[in-house]
Amino acid sequence: MRNFILQRMATAIPTLLGMSMLGFFMVALTPGDPVEMELRRLGVIFTADQIAALRQEYGLDQPIFKRYIDWLIRLLHLDMGQSIASGRSVLEEFKTHLPLTITLATLSLAFSIVLSALFGITAALTRSQALGNFVQFFSIFLVSIPSFWLALLLLFIFALSLQWISLLGSGAWYDLVLPVLTLSLGSAATMGRLMRDRILAVMSEDYIRLAIVKGLSPTLILRRHIMKSILPPLVTNWAVTFGALLGGSVIVENIFNLPGLGQMALQAVFERDFAILQAYLLFMGLIFFVSNFIADLLNYWLTPHFREQSGSQGGTE
Amino acid sequence: MKLLSLRATPLGLNTGVILIGCLLLIAFFGESLAPHDPNKMDLIRRLEGMSWTYPLGTDHLGRDVLSRLMSGTFLSLGAAVMTAISILFIAVPIGLISAMVGGVVNHLLMRITDIFLAFPMIIFSLVIIGFLGASLNSAIIGVALAWWPSLARLVYTLTTDALAKDFVLASRQCGIGPVKLVIRHILPQILPPLFVVMSLEMASILLVLSSLSFLGIGAQPPEAEWGAMLNEARPFFTERPGLLLAPGLLISLAVMGFNLLGEGIRHKLDNRSPFRW
Repeated sequence: MRNFILQRMATAIPTLLGMSMLGFFMVALTPGDPVEMELRRLGVIFTADQIAALRQEYGLDQPIFKRYIDWLIRLLHLDMGQSIASGRSVLEEFKTHLPLTITLATLSLAFSIVLSALFGITAALTRSQALGNFVQFFSIFLVSIPSFWLALLLLFIFALSLQWISLLGSGAWYDLVLPVLTLSLGSAATMGRLMRDRILAVMSEDYIRLAIVKGLSPTLILRRHIMKSILPPLVTNWAVTFGALLGGSVIVENIFNLPGLGQMALQAVFERDFAILQAYLLFMGLIFFVSNFIADLLNYWLTPHFREQSGSQGGTE
Repeated sequence: MKLLSLRATPLGLNTGVILIGCLLLIAFFGESLAPHDPNKMDLIRRLEGMSWTYPLGTDHLGRDVLSRLMSGTFLSLGAAVMTAISILFIAVPIGLISAMVGGVVNHLLMRITDIFLAFPMIIFSLVIIGFLGASLNSAIIGVALAWWPSLARLVYTLTTDALAKDFVLASRQCGIGPVKLVIRHILPQILPPLFVVMSLEMASILLVLSSLSFLGIGAQPPEAEWGAMLNEARPFFTERPGLLLAPGLLISLAVMGFNLLGEGIRHKLDNRSPFRW
């Protein structure tokens, strides 16, 4: 276990470095000179000499690689610059907006795991054709609905028609109910379909047939044989889903007007606040990375013979 | 042993084909079939309900919703197709080169794809759009840049499998050049499964692009892109919720069409027979 963790950490370093490079060069290579943009924003006209002096002050005259190293060192000290729009430090902005997004994504993940198990197991194992088809169709329907539209439908039903909640939100905990529902319904459908496919794939194996011939009860087979073999890929999928939920939170936060990281980033897109965007990209990458790492650890623990699993598995499914 | 009925009957596949077929028809002929000019404003008749002249009502500027939806089909689907093509343009060469050259090149390219894969997809697109400035073109570029790595991996795996076939080995031993090998033997093997996957991916691409437009960082009004139409209608949600119904429904139908199509073909190719109680 210890070796495995150390080994995974060692392979993580190049990926993390690569991620930071991508984040850095995306800003560094963006057309438009930051000094000139800053000056234009202030509305002052400077001489060429003064611009050169400013460039020196910001370290922009250094070779790009040197700038990357300096930037990386500052990043490790959690100094990610300042937001142009609000003037606050990026770190502070994150501290205000982070808790909501993390709560939202975590709750949605938990809820969608429960829902997907319900969907997946029902769809795979039900004897009733009608029920199986219904679950199948319902999940395709949920996968196909855009989350923003689902959110609007929910708002229409619960806020406009039934008037159970206020459109503006009340600041209480139940403001999160509809956002979590929106996020988890969509991902639960995707995860449930994966689960169903996995279960059906295992059901074609000979050892399940043997278990059935031995006369084991369906629940026992499900618990002892099927779950054991389908859990590792599902755990990997959960980590991927967590990343998707973080992304999906941008949309949901926007519709339900929740002040999370997604709203902050969206605002930054409109204001062209590059410092925020860069930090957002890196931070979300890091969270995603950590969740994949945890999934790998869980998988290691779940399958004792698991020795070589090539890196973190991404992809859509 | 009972087979899953959805798998046995191609009902899903047929529905998918019909849906996509209808949408393609609308995409190509919608502009000319539309009952009104999609951009003609009529401020006296704004936010009207359904009527014979305006079957789906009018929006906040008095434009005919039905005509806008019809003429927007080409833009919405076209954007998704453009994105898919861009993704393939990046992913196929990288996957092919990685698998054919192997060694250090393969290692390096796969590392790079790993790094791109390390970011959640929507977030990566969003940030790229942030740097490029909000527009439909930026959205297409952003989504393509965030999307290619998973496809490149798929192309790599498919190509490795294709390269392992005996007849490929035989052609190589006959001294066939790498370009000819790819065109004659590799592409015919990897393209069919790739297209099945792309059909499923089209569904997700359509979703992401419309989400970005909905957030206001994709297609910009007055473009009649479906997501952008929804975004424009948002302030009138309480006044006329119906305005948000039609574009959303159309997006869902298109996405469902691609999903059913891809699933249907995939299940047709898959002939495992799971045991069922």
